[in-house]
Amino acid sequence: MTFRLTIEPLGETLELEDGQSMLDGALRAGIYLPYACNHGLCGTCKVTVLGGEVAHGQASSFALMDVERDEGRTLACCATLLSDVTIEADVDEEPDAERLPVADYRAQVSRIEDRTPTIKAVFLTLDDAELHFQAGQYLNLVIPGLDGPRAFSIASAPSSRREIELHVRKVEGGAGTAYVHERLEPGDELRFTAPLGRFFVRKSAPEPVLLLAGGSGLSSPKSMLLDLLESADPRAITLIHGVRNRAELYDDALFEALAAEHPQFRYVPCLSDAAHDDAWQGERGHVHEVAERLFDGRFAGLKAYLCGPPAMIDACLTSLMRGRLFEEHIFMEHFFTAADAASPARRSALFKKF
Amino acid sequence: MAKKLGLKERYALLTRGLDWETTYQPMDAVFPYDSYEGIKIKDWDGWADPFRLTMDAYWKYQSEKERKLYAILDAFQQNNGQLNISDARYLSAVKLWLQGITPLEYAAHRGFAHAGRAFRGAGARIACQMQSIDELRHAQTQLHAFSHYNKFFNGFHGFAHMRDRAWYLSIPKSFFEDAMTAGPFEFVTSISFAFEYVLTNLLFMPFVSGAAYNGDMATTTFGFSAQSDESRHMTLGLEVVKFMLQQHEDNVPIVQGWLDKWFWRGYRLLGLVGTMMDYMLPKKVMSWAEAWGIYWEENGTALFHDLGRYGIRLPKHHEVAAKEKQRLTHEMWTVLYQYGNALSLHTWVPDDEEIAWLSEKYGATFDTLYKPRLLFLRAAEQRGERYYNNRLPMVCQVCQIPIFYTEPDDPLTQCVRIVEAAATRHHCCSDGCADIFNHEPMKYVQALIPPQQIYRGEAGGARDIFEYAAWLHLERDVDTGEYRGSPDQKNWDAWQEAHKTKPANAA
Repeated sequence: MTFRLTIEPLGETLELEDGQSMLDGALRAGIYLPYACNHGLCGTCKVTVLGGEVAHGQASSFALMDVERDEGRTLACCATLLSDVTIEADVDEEPDAERLPVADYRAQVSRIEDRTPTIKAVFLTLDDAELHFQAGQYLNLVIPGLDGPRAFSIASAPSSRREIELHVRKVEGGAGTAYVHERLEPGDELRFTAPLGRFFVRKSAPEPVLLLAGGSGLSSPKSMLLDLLESADPRAITLIHGVRNRAELYDDALFEALAAEHPQFRYVPCLSDAAHDDAWQGERGHVHEVAERLFDGRFAGLKAYLCGPPAMIDACLTSLMRGRLFEEHIFMEHFFTAADAASPARRSALFKKF
Repeated sequence: MAKKLGLKERYALLTRGLDWETTYQPMDAVFPYDSYEGIKIKDWDGWADPFRLTMDAYWKYQSEKERKLYAILDAFQQNNGQLNISDARYLSAVKLWLQGITPLEYAAHRGFAHAGRAFRGAGARIACQMQSIDELRHAQTQLHAFSHYNKFFNGFHGFAHMRDRAWYLSIPKSFFEDAMTAGPFEFVTSISFAFEYVLTNLLFMPFVSGAAYNGDMATTTFGFSAQSDESRHMTLGLEVVKFMLQQHEDNVPIVQGWLDKWFWRGYRLLGLVGTMMDYMLPKKVMSWAEAWGIYWEENGTALFHDLGRYGIRLPKHHEVAAKEKQRLTHEMWTVLYQYGNALSLHTWVPDDEEIAWLSEKYGATFDTLYKPRLLFLRAAEQRGERYYNNRLPMVCQVCQIPIFYTEPDDPLTQCVRIVEAAATRHHCCSDGCADIFNHEPMKYVQALIPPQQIYRGEAGGARDIFEYAAWLHLERDVDTGEYRGSPDQKNWDAWQEAHKTKPANAA
């Protein structure tokens, strides 16, 4: 039986499976709660239960004492839900989070366009509803015949509430993306849940924006860029979009036009393997290498938003941090895929967000 | 209605702005130590509190922990809990902890009090203050947990007297005194980060799990009561290192140097713990090599991968530790065994079952290099010629461990490094310790080296190892020496026999 866990002061609500700990649910939803030992001995993950019933599980009587149990404390790493529960946890509030309600939608496929040999743009039209979302958020798309939904970031601007654009790269051996590439037709009806995720522009922070995108990871940065430009935000924005070769570059005409129109926006496409693109005049190299060249290896004073394959994210994090831009100024989406669950990479507790 | 504050804001309102900028004296004169190491702090407000605990809550939690702990210790004592341990040999591990580690808890209490005074940022000061009190509590509760054994077994009585006198206790003592005589940032890096965060599992897990496996309820309960404090200490270590690395890029090479140094010093100290795991625990938890693999090679490497984003690399000589992991504890046990006349704990040759376990865990290294030596020692003992080395060893000028480890690439050659400073030659046990010496030679030439001091007559004029042991208040073959045939062994066997033959209806 699943119960709902609401985490204050964020106001985020998530569903927990039977026996799933609060901490596990929160981390999988991209909400960092402080923790250390993960088995009830240290007390780092102590939270306050504001409403509902919990089981304390294996919490040590030294890490969670009787007086604390009486006061409604529990250890998130061991606690499971016996009803819907609201907790208050030691998490940073996000002034820019709009906390938009999540709902299920039905949409029609209105257009499918080839962007590159491996990427299609899929447009979904909502007939009887509007989708409110923050630029950078994603949706969970139900693919007919497949277990479990697939997550896709929204590439269109939040102002477009009845037509949603997605970028779908064909993943080798991926059943979901194969369906979209081979079987999906205009006119098909699809169901999805949205908006999801905590990846959005921190507009209240005044710093210039650096958008780093790899391949079809262009989707969220594109939405963020369109949103910022539409709202006449004057801050400097740089978009670096890295792809393998010229054939894989897309939406460049759109960005060139936007850059010509908006002096605060700089567009930098780059090719990591331009050996066969003799005519290419632009940047060559991986996203992080181009970013280092462009910013002379100094990133302090920016806000960076990252979207792309894991190797690109990893390389960019190192470049940004060596360039003195740290965790609290770097944002990205956390997708937990089946592969993550199967082989949890060993990570230390040094970083909260990545 | 005003919006409810988050925990972070509430904590900030409760704890910040209570200090002040000095006016009669410049801040630099009031806090002279937090800048002289070269660490640059642009903004002390960038300190992210690693835990949000007010003093009020701190007292409340700690006092309840004490009540629980002492209730269990009381029950342990009333029920003759000492009879439930696996074997009296286990107590050599407890004696080593009491003599070697408990004084370090007390030293940590002093060190954090000093570091807390030295930091001008209020957040760092408070974190150090709480840790300082925790460490005092740990020293005290350990003493109380172990004190029951002192009524029944030998070798527990003289830990405070021995701290500044016993040659082997200078190993842990010098570790902490090196840290305490450094600046506050190095102190916190060495203790909170390198020791409490990076290496703590290798200290705590063997002792506390070892206690649980071997039926020692008192020590196990102490462990649980301390672990909830340890998590705060670990998060402090992480925060300090992130804070320094983020505040200024000039801090990166300084921190790297400290991580190199304190990784090596911590690793050398843990050689004693590993030996305890492999040789002193009658019921084994896991081998030193396995623990090193999990807690350093997997977890530590993941941590340094993340630190790599700041420009930090793996500590120097980590590859030497990997080469030594099949050999470290066997070499150390041979040293403890032979100097048994000057130790306040017992040593022995492992029995057949234990030798089989060592063979299984260490394979060819153990079977070819160390098993023959153990069997040789056993044969000598059975002939009535139990081997003792009744001289004192040459010890390393930095870690103060006897110079007996072997070359990283050659397990049959003693590893000695000769360093020079102030026209004097000194000896180190490894390249790691030689590097540390050469970085600050004028610090390490001042180290008091116990064997030299003893031979100079500073140990009450002792002329041989037996007079020296007497000066430590150790009774020969009662507190010291071989386990087999010791009063501890005879008493234990008699108590076990009495326990077995006791009629079933006796209380």
